Amino acid sequence: MDRREFLKQVALWSAGAVMSPPMFDLLSPAGAAEIDMPEILTIKGRDLPAMVRSMTEALGGMGAFVKTGDKVVIKPNIGWDRTIEQAANTHPLIVFELVRLCLDAGASRVLVFDRTCNEERRCYQNSGMAPALEKIKDKRFRLEYADDRRFVPVTLKNGRVLKEWSFHRDALEADCYINVPKAKHHGLTGLSLGLKNIMGAVGGWRGRLHYDLGPKLADLNTVIRPKLTLIDASRVIVKNGPQGGDPEDVKILDTLIASRDTVAADAYATTLFGRLPKEIEATLEAHQRGLGQMDLDQCRIRRLDA
Amino acid sequence: MPMKPYWKQVRRFSQGICLLIFLFLFRQTDYSGTDTIPYAVNLFFRLDTLVLAVVTLAMKTFVSLLWPAFIIIALTLVFGRVFCSWVCPLGTSIDLSDRFIKPRLKREPDLKFLKYGVLTILLMSSAFGVQFLGFADPFSLLVRGLAFSLDPMMNYLISGFFDTVYTHAPAFVSDLTEPLYQGLKAFFLPYKQSFFHLAGLSLCILTGIFLLEFLGRRFWCRNLCPLGGLLALISKFSILKRIPLKSCSHCRLCESGCRMMAFDDNSRFQPEECNLCMDCLEFCPDGITTFRFSLPRPRPFVDITRRQMVVAGLAGLALPVLTRTQAVSQLPHDNIIRPPGARDEIEFSALCVRCGECMKVCINNALQPLFLEKGIEGMFTPVLVPRMGYCEFNCTLCSGVCPTGALEKLTLEQKHGFVLGRAYFDKNKCMVYVREKSCIVCEEHCPVHDKAIKFDEKTVQRADGTSILLKQPHVVEALCIGCGICEYVCPVEGAAAIRVFGKDERRS
Repeated sequence: MDRREFLKQVALWSAGAVMSPPMFDLLSPAGAAEIDMPEILTIKGRDLPAMVRSMTEALGGMGAFVKTGDKVVIKPNIGWDRTIEQAANTHPLIVFELVRLCLDAGASRVLVFDRTCNEERRCYQNSGMAPALEKIKDKRFRLEYADDRRFVPVTLKNGRVLKEWSFHRDALEADCYINVPKAKHHGLTGLSLGLKNIMGAVGGWRGRLHYDLGPKLADLNTVIRPKLTLIDASRVIVKNGPQGGDPEDVKILDTLIASRDTVAADAYATTLFGRLPKEIEATLEAHQRGLGQMDLDQCRIRRLDA
Repeated sequence: MPMKPYWKQVRRFSQGICLLIFLFLFRQTDYSGTDTIPYAVNLFFRLDTLVLAVVTLAMKTFVSLLWPAFIIIALTLVFGRVFCSWVCPLGTSIDLSDRFIKPRLKREPDLKFLKYGVLTILLMSSAFGVQFLGFADPFSLLVRGLAFSLDPMMNYLISGFFDTVYTHAPAFVSDLTEPLYQGLKAFFLPYKQSFFHLAGLSLCILTGIFLLEFLGRRFWCRNLCPLGGLLALISKFSILKRIPLKSCSHCRLCESGCRMMAFDDNSRFQPEECNLCMDCLEFCPDGITTFRFSLPRPRPFVDITRRQMVVAGLAGLALPVLTRTQAVSQLPHDNIIRPPGARDEIEFSALCVRCGECMKVCINNALQPLFLEKGIEGMFTPVLVPRMGYCEFNCTLCSGVCPTGALEKLTLEQKHGFVLGRAYFDKNKCMVYVREKSCIVCEEHCPVHDKAIKFDEKTVQRADGTSILLKQPHVVEALCIGCGICEYVCPVEGAAAIRVFGKDERRS
């Protein structure tokens, strides 16, 4: 579905012409030119904002992703009532820097949100996200709780297991969706990475997604296609994921990974845990469906200096 | 020297301020970004002299949290029953309702003795081990009515309106309504919609108090309120006195206009019934009514006959016996999960004044009032209902707002180790065992540091001959604290496939 069609549906719905719930019939062309040789950037260091800047510069600057007047959604993981040290959520400094870069690139609106697992106010506060992002005074920027009213049903034409699920409307409408997951251990899926991070942008009873989660994650990722995935592996949870809680669960890797291809970024991040990309069901499934490249030999990996 | 009628305005001002403080504290009974609430939101319960009396009798020991009640005792010893007319938010609300509810009875029967009866029943039953304060304490009734029904209803209506506009009206309309809605959310509405058991009953009790106004002004305060009764007894020793002590025979305006009907059949003034509303300063055409300090000369009797007193005392004795002979007293209660910090059941029941504060503050709407599951004496006490919400691992708010320490204040570390109950799998329902699909949402959400839910990877033969690798969850009993998040998130329809049971003494 192209943008024009999409807007038409929104307009029809807003005008009250359609009384049934709106159906965003998104058909995302899987594949795209990049799939053969996607670029993966990695960087090691402690200065997270500087690392974020180096990576975006190496990818052609934030202007390559955000055009003047664009609506941007940045989707970190703020799912758990855990502190920065406990490493269950995306580090707030990474998100802070991304918001700043998007605003500098001329975004008309930058929205940061996550649909949390623990109580949302506690998550936003104790993850450090709200205290860090409060410092951004720009009117174009908003840190919001996931507003129930903004989740709209979507028909998944390319869905293998899921045929319909609800998605956050701003995430659907964004000109640029930036995916900023935390890399961490996860009991069911092995690892929680970029493809898994979409769980915070969907509505409904998410517990219901957990059986056959791999294929379902691939399904969900046919709808929202991030322009940039930046994986936070500065501190990672290696056991008791996805929330950890004990210092023993945390390993400091001081690494960030970025790619235009979520599958490629996930594949690379998987190796940091000593595992193979194909062991992660969602990565494998997404790769097989042409959503991205998990074969690291088919990727251009660039290691940047901090 | 006669006093000026402006004292009535002063009284009204005090009422307004106290009501606003009460409502402000009510709204502040919520998470605000820190794990401690910066205001003493339970203030009115700790000022409540009745709470002090009943809890002390029930516990047979002084509960130091309740020290502010002595402020009210001191106030009453000096000024008499001013609390009822200058401070009490329920009294103020009743006064406000008088604009809409006019008494219908021509001549009201004298029922002032009832409040002493209620008081006697409460004190007697507490002394004999069962505490019924939650059925009669004015603040318990008021806060529960507000927290369980009125506040959620108001939010439901207002949010419902704005949400409907937002989802169905064209954008230019919601562009106008949304800023208004956000403003209301920031300053007036609760943070989120809550849902409570016993919402209807709590509303009925509260509205009942107001409907009594059809019988007479301040009907509840004069005839039923046990706190009023207790303060009336204390005020017999107060030193501020209204003069004259008998309404002078020529006009009797003070007597006929008195909202507290503080005159007996012989037009003699009853100081313990007077709540110093100061109205009579205004009624008196001669300006001779005044209030003056003088030494207390308590009349030896109150408005309750010996026979009435004996009946009330016997009722107070009978109630504890009645509760012991209910079948529920013989049944195990493993479905009752008390909030974190709850003392053992006997102390908890003696201390808990059913004020609803813990349930109001619960960040996940997980604490709910009990109905008759634990007998009549357990009504309105808090329990965790995991399918409604779970106990947030890092949250200690409920134990911090308890006015009597029925929930002991917990540090975060204590909270992490506090066992509410234990979770058990129902393998006849669990997706993994029944449908042979890995799910383990419960394991993912288990917050304890060494997860209390673990899983084994097992290859299972399916009916069609194929085999599948499954992650089969199980609970490690010793690690589980019973927070209920597993039960809350379990994706099975209806009752969850993993359920938390309260501390059942018989299991251990």
